[in-house]
Amino acid sequence: MEFLSRRKIGINSLSFKNLRRRKLRSILTMLGVVIGVTALVVLVGLTTGMTNYMKESTTNMMGDVMIMNSTGGGNIMSQPGSSFLSPEAVNELKNMSQLYNIKEEVQFFTEFNGTSIYIVGTKDRSQIEINGTPGVVISPVIEAMGYQIGNKITIEDQEFTITGTFSEGAMGMGVLVLDSDKALPLNDNKPTSLTANTRGDPEVIKEEVENTVDGITVSTKSDMSKQIDDMMSGLTLFIGGIASIALMVGVISIINIMLVNVTERTREIGVLKAIGFTSREVLGSILLEAALIGFIGGVVGLIIAAILLQIAIMLFGSQIGDIQLVQMLPVWLIAGVLGGATALSVLAGLYPAWRASRLNVVEALRNE
Amino acid sequence: MNDQNNNVLEFKDVWKIYRMGDEKINALAGINLNIKNGSFTSIMGPSGSGKSTLLHVGGILDMPTKGTLLMNGKDTSTLSGKEQATFRRNKIGFVFQRFNLMPQLSALENVLLPMIKPDLEKAKELLDKMGLEGKHNKRPSQLSGGEQQRVSIARALINNPSLILADEPTGELDTKNAEVIMGILQDLNKNEGVTIIIVTHNPLAAEFTDEIIEMRDGNII
Repeated sequence: MEFLSRRKIGINSLSFKNLRRRKLRSILTMLGVVIGVTALVVLVGLTTGMTNYMKESTTNMMGDVMIMNSTGGGNIMSQPGSSFLSPEAVNELKNMSQLYNIKEEVQFFTEFNGTSIYIVGTKDRSQIEINGTPGVVISPVIEAMGYQIGNKITIEDQEFTITGTFSEGAMGMGVLVLDSDKALPLNDNKPTSLTANTRGDPEVIKEEVENTVDGITVSTKSDMSKQIDDMMSGLTLFIGGIASIALMVGVISIINIMLVNVTERTREIGVLKAIGFTSREVLGSILLEAALIGFIGGVVGLIIAAILLQIAIMLFGSQIGDIQLVQMLPVWLIAGVLGGATALSVLAGLYPAWRASRLNVVEALRNE
Repeated sequence: MNDQNNNVLEFKDVWKIYRMGDEKINALAGINLNIKNGSFTSIMGPSGSGKSTLLHVGGILDMPTKGTLLMNGKDTSTLSGKEQATFRRNKIGFVFQRFNLMPQLSALENVLLPMIKPDLEKAKELLDKMGLEGKHNKRPSQLSGGEQQRVSIARALINNPSLILADEPTGELDTKNAEVIMGILQDLNKNEGVTIIIVTHNPLAAEFTDEIIEMRDGNII
């Protein structure tokens, strides 16, 4: 009664009541939207979180600048193990007073037991340290060739003792990680990249270094962030596109269900018109019903996605660093998904609503 | 001129022609009929005689194929779709054979549905007048046929129409309930001056009205 006295009992309240009338049907239709929205938000949220994590870890690992061979593409997206700095360039760089704390990194492919494996020489202690001493770490693929901790392994005629193994797959590649000082001689002392700190503004020094030494590209932290953004925005779009297919399926089921609803309610629509509702009002009420399915489905999907992402953070958060839910669920994502799900649902309702609004009153009233 | 102004509805050579395959069916074959303000008329005739079509055309639910229908002196063929809807909402009340209440709404909500600005007190008053005290919040499925038809009469009356059109209002009711419904309609006509047209098969229902029109094959006989 309270509800009645405060609210207008118009055709729009029928939309709410119609949703409640066939609860199971409405819930199942919403489920399609819920699944789509959940998939979209979780996948895009994870990618967004990953981008932020990559930016943080890349910029933490490097000094102020990273220097690579300019012909190899000179960015983190270039083919690994294909482009190196010449020893002359390295010497020149090491002699520059603007740079200090220079570290060499090298990645290259080599023949091993008739297959190609990836050698990573790094100064990143966390990757190679076992019990405080730097060592040689192999991936499961090399382990599967019969190598274990303590075994000797021969790379490019040099013998190393294996001190550790990766716990995870390294994408199914044969990978061997060791200190870059030991790895460089295996690649004719040609590093893939140098990282260094700068005395002064990195942007200024970047210019100076690039003008002094030929054939190199200098990337600052902000350059790297931008490169990661560029690379990941493509990935986000791709993953978002795939997840959107799930949402589209949900939206198409709205078209189907709304057509069933409208057909089932043919006589009621005839009555509404007979008692003075215009075609436009009938159209609006069906569209509102479709919009409600999309919006409610979107809200529920968002809540489920937030819970799933929070669980992912709790399970894997320690491995990927300090990441927060808000980094995975930016406002643009929430607003876009809610607005998108609602707008698509209204679109899905257009055809059924149009059909309902065009019903001939006399024929609709005769409908059993 | 004065006589014309006293007519709620004027049918002037009204035809309604349907096509069924190659066959043409004259549901209305040149009807000339005046419905006077304050009259209580029943239309009788066998199935397919055109009596429901006459009611639909009279209620601007359907447009004539040929001819003119004047409502309160205004040519209805000049009305836009929206104006037709406004006419139906404010000037005409419909009562159907099968009540046609919204199953998801309470009796009170059904009565309020045609109002643009809901007047809760008026709706309650109308339901009470129909003898439905204490049943305002019942759903149609919780009401008997006679009660549902009384709700639908209240719905038809909520916007103070000058004309009530009832298509077989007693068709789904037993004799006792049919008499109650016809009594209510008679009372509305005699005491409140509402013009009423009913279509019926039931001679007992027709006895309540002041004038009986017989139809056959789209013509008044």
